[in-house]
Amino acid sequence: MTRGQVAGSPPRRRRAVALVGVAGLVVALVAGLVVAVSPRRPATAQEGAAVTVQRAHAGSATPAFNKRIVLLTIGSDSGAPKFGRGGSMERGRADALQLVVLDAAKHRGAVLSFPRDSYVPIPGHGTNKINAAMAFGGPPLLVATFERLTGLTIDYYALTSFDGLTDMVNKVGGVQVNVDMNLRDHFAGAFLDKGRRKLNGGQALAYARARKTLPGGDFDRSRHQGQLLLSGLGTFQRQVAENPARVMTWLDVLRDEVRTDVPFPELLRLALLATKVPPSSFKNLPVPGAAGMAGGASVVHLQPSAYSLFARIRAGKLS
Amino acid sequence: MIVPARSNPGRRPAVVAGLLAALLLTALVAGCTSGGRSGSGGQATGSTAAPAAPAAPLEVQVAATARVPPGELSAKQAAKQAAPGLEKFLDRYLTEAYVDAAGGDGNWSGLLGLFDTPVRASARKQLDALSLGAAAADVSAVRPSRASARAVVLYGPQRPEAATVRLAFDATADTAQGSGQVHLRSVLQLLATGEGWRIAAFDSRTGPPK
Repeated sequence: MTRGQVAGSPPRRRRAVALVGVAGLVVALVAGLVVAVSPRRPATAQEGAAVTVQRAHAGSATPAFNKRIVLLTIGSDSGAPKFGRGGSMERGRADALQLVVLDAAKHRGAVLSFPRDSYVPIPGHGTNKINAAMAFGGPPLLVATFERLTGLTIDYYALTSFDGLTDMVNKVGGVQVNVDMNLRDHFAGAFLDKGRRKLNGGQALAYARARKTLPGGDFDRSRHQGQLLLSGLGTFQRQVAENPARVMTWLDVLRDEVRTDVPFPELLRLALLATKVPPSSFKNLPVPGAAGMAGGASVVHLQPSAYSLFARIRAGKLS
Repeated sequence: MIVPARSNPGRRPAVVAGLLAALLLTALVAGCTSGGRSGSGGQATGSTAAPAAPAAPLEVQVAATARVPPGELSAKQAAKQAAPGLEKFLDRYLTEAYVDAAGGDGNWSGLLGLFDTPVRASARKQLDALSLGAAAADVSAVRPSRASARAVVLYGPQRPEAATVRLAFDATADTAQGSGQVHLRSVLQLLATGEGWRIAAFDSRTGPPK
């Protein structure tokens, strides 16, 4: 029995040893597999940002032009149903007339504000108030009139109406203007205190129209119109600095409210350029003139100094 | 006489053990190989002899909104219509500026061709702020990890005319000295042309993460 028992033992021991061995191998196998399939740390330092590949750099640019750009901005007294002004904007009288001259290379410019009653030669129409040129022949004749008067080549025009100006200002959220005098002009509806003000569309239009109660009359009005343009530029720049996508907002508003012959690609480039030209680098220059009469109508005769101003602008002297 | 294996319980564990041992050896070899890589990867100046992880394909995720003229497409439709073209353009930009620039010969004509003419000279002078720039010569590969853009598209009659895009791009760049992160954060003002988009203005920065 004992032998029998002894004789029976070796197979059981072998089996037990084998099972233990198998178990050990299984454990080792699992451990090996875990090691094999676990996420590896890479040979290169791609997870650890081990090296600085590129130092920090910053840069910016807007379109660069090595030329002078002249834009005629026109405020028409027609085509404004909200203000009871019917007719076509292009065939109305041009009541606000600014020549924006930009030295794009030097990032400086001038806004020449013309009294609407300036008595000047109009090609094919004798001599008349400058604001009549558009009524005679639309923006092209007005442009031709300005080119003959100033000797400057006008690249583009931009035309809007009372409705256009007020809607434009409201759509961009108002413009910041340094109101330079206390205004109580019930003819234009301008009731503003001197100081830095955010004007809505109606207030901006009133500021641009007020004339009868101003000490300088039409000259003050022209100056205010130029000031409003530059205030718009300042507002544009502040908004774009805060949110670059505001460029699209302003272009969208311009498209809705302004008629222009500026091709869109050029309009975008000019808008982007305008983000870098500070309003303070523009001179707001009312064109010198003196009140007078012609054919029984009150007009403004441009002074010799006006023609000197045009000559300086032609020579590129914007300061 | 053929004896089925299971009829001989004394040999079964040995066979199983042999098979498992073979598997174990295979697994351990694989594990040791992995461990070996791990050891070298812990060093900042890891060798470039080890293969880098395969690059994920560059895919720019564009979220677009649109401003449309009255009576045209809805803003939603316009944004949806504009997004693929913007994705394609930005994909090309990042490919030229980073992915294909690695180990390049310093010829950036492909990238500069994406800029509108009045801004191209400025872009040429500021390549470091727009791309891998001078670092490209030391980089063997760029593996994108994130490319996303938010766009505001200005629509004209039936087609986009301009857009403002905020672009963010993160990637890993491999060099002989090791790998590191590269980043691009840009605001691009885009002009639509008959041939696609062109960059009309930019405000851009590159470099390591802050």
